[in-house]
Amino acid sequence: MLPESIELLAFAAASLVFALAFAPALAPRRALAVQGGAGLAGTAAVAAAPAFDLAVLGLMLLAVLQAAVGGKRTFAACLKAPGVAVALLALAALFARAEGPDLLQRFAAVGLAAGLAAAVGLLPYLHTFDPEEPIAASPVAWLAYIGPVVAAVIVADAHGLLTADAGAAFGAVLIGFGLVNMAWGSVGAWLTENTGAAWRYSFAADWGLALSGFGITLADGRRAALLVLFTVVLGRLPLYLVSGRSGKAPVTDRPINLLVAAALAGSAPFAGFAARVLLLRGATQLFWPLALVLALGMLLWLPGSLRLGRSLGIPRRRQAVGVALVLAANVAAGLYPLPLLAAAGL
Amino acid sequence: MVEAASGFVAWLGVSLVVLSDGRRGLALGMALGALGLAGVSLPAAEPIGAIALVAGGAVAAARRFTAGPAGWAVMPAGSTPRLVLCVAGGLLALWVGVAVMTGSGGALRFAVMSVVGLTGARALAGENASVVQTALALLAVAIGAGAGLAPHTLIVWTYLAAGLVAAAVTWLPDRVQRAA
Repeated sequence: MLPESIELLAFAAASLVFALAFAPALAPRRALAVQGGAGLAGTAAVAAAPAFDLAVLGLMLLAVLQAAVGGKRTFAACLKAPGVAVALLALAALFARAEGPDLLQRFAAVGLAAGLAAAVGLLPYLHTFDPEEPIAASPVAWLAYIGPVVAAVIVADAHGLLTADAGAAFGAVLIGFGLVNMAWGSVGAWLTENTGAAWRYSFAADWGLALSGFGITLADGRRAALLVLFTVVLGRLPLYLVSGRSGKAPVTDRPINLLVAAALAGSAPFAGFAARVLLLRGATQLFWPLALVLALGMLLWLPGSLRLGRSLGIPRRRQAVGVALVLAANVAAGLYPLPLLAAAGL
Repeated sequence: MVEAASGFVAWLGVSLVVLSDGRRGLALGMALGALGLAGVSLPAAEPIGAIALVAGGAVAAARRFTAGPAGWAVMPAGSTPRLVLCVAGGLLALWVGVAVMTGSGGALRFAVMSVVGLTGARALAGENASVVQTALALLAVAIGAGAGLAPHTLIVWTYLAAGLVAAAVTWLPDRVQRAA
């Protein structure tokens, strides 16, 4: 198993513990523990799969198991995007392995990137979303719990399947998807009416940064992607859980709301800031106009983050402890990210 | 000749899955698709791999035969776009798999490409749990068959896993519980 995947699994396990300890009890905690544990085990199986085909089969089984969890969406609706993801990944593997013109490898690169986006639930394959749905059955589970490990596995396997030229094309497609998700996600988080939907768009925006990091085929890009995924799993997801998700909490402008907004926007000294610095450095090394576009895109985080921070209301008791822990962890990772990066072999 | 016939059977099976809304049609499509994919996989999979694919497909087909919307419901009213999809998808897969791609295993490439593409489309467009489950089960068998093109040494495990996943996908309940 990749060190990066092991670390992301550990993040996911920590977020599950956080959900059990600090999130408002919208569903029985025992059910959440069982479903979250099963999801974690399935994700670990995908990460540990010794061959790409086995990982894709594991992904399919995980999708069906998640669709079987009771939610607001129909069983078939839950499986649309994951089904497409599995089909795209399988087709990409076929194109990568077949003999023929170089164009086949390019198609494989596009298929792998599109399959990754569909599996996680990013544009242009956003999963249908209902803010009232339990977290275990929600697309947010793909965005912030299962998705990071799946993405790390697909990116690692892609480098084994594709030739060097096609690998570069894969990176370029990932950057393209990343920019689209950054722009659409951050504007959506700012302007959409429903606060729950705004949270979902904010996850997509963060994923835009992560995809761009994966696409920048330099060490700084991978480091940035890992830190962004840290902020998704141990920053945005816990805050989303604490927020009550539906946006029914009264909007407040206390210092805690501004702190949360700063953490969500990737301001210093939070982990998101270190991720953005690494991403801009990697982009500058690769192709400096890309850094300019990324920097402009990062400005779009501010309005949406302020909105989401204010929507948190005033956390009390257990939720307040949870928010404090999340902020502390993100500050620690922002000030000294080296142990996280070293543990992932980056 | 056997491989070419198996490839055609696989396409016929997946076309039935795309064109049917009833449990009998879906079950027959599942069985034919798995049989065809096992046939094209035989040179790479050897008997044990092919048996795993057929067994997984048979279990999935048996489950679909006993649960789901009643009857055959093959090509119900309004299914012309699906018919066009099956024919066009099959022709495209045949052209890419046999003419664009080179080397041996053309039937395997055609069968895997047509089954993966058409089951993916069915999963995207399906509104019924039994339809989507059947499409995903056949997709799992196709993923297993596609491993025959890979140079790795875990190929037998992939066939076994594909058969198990195909069986599991159709036997899993479509809802465990209704949460608030």
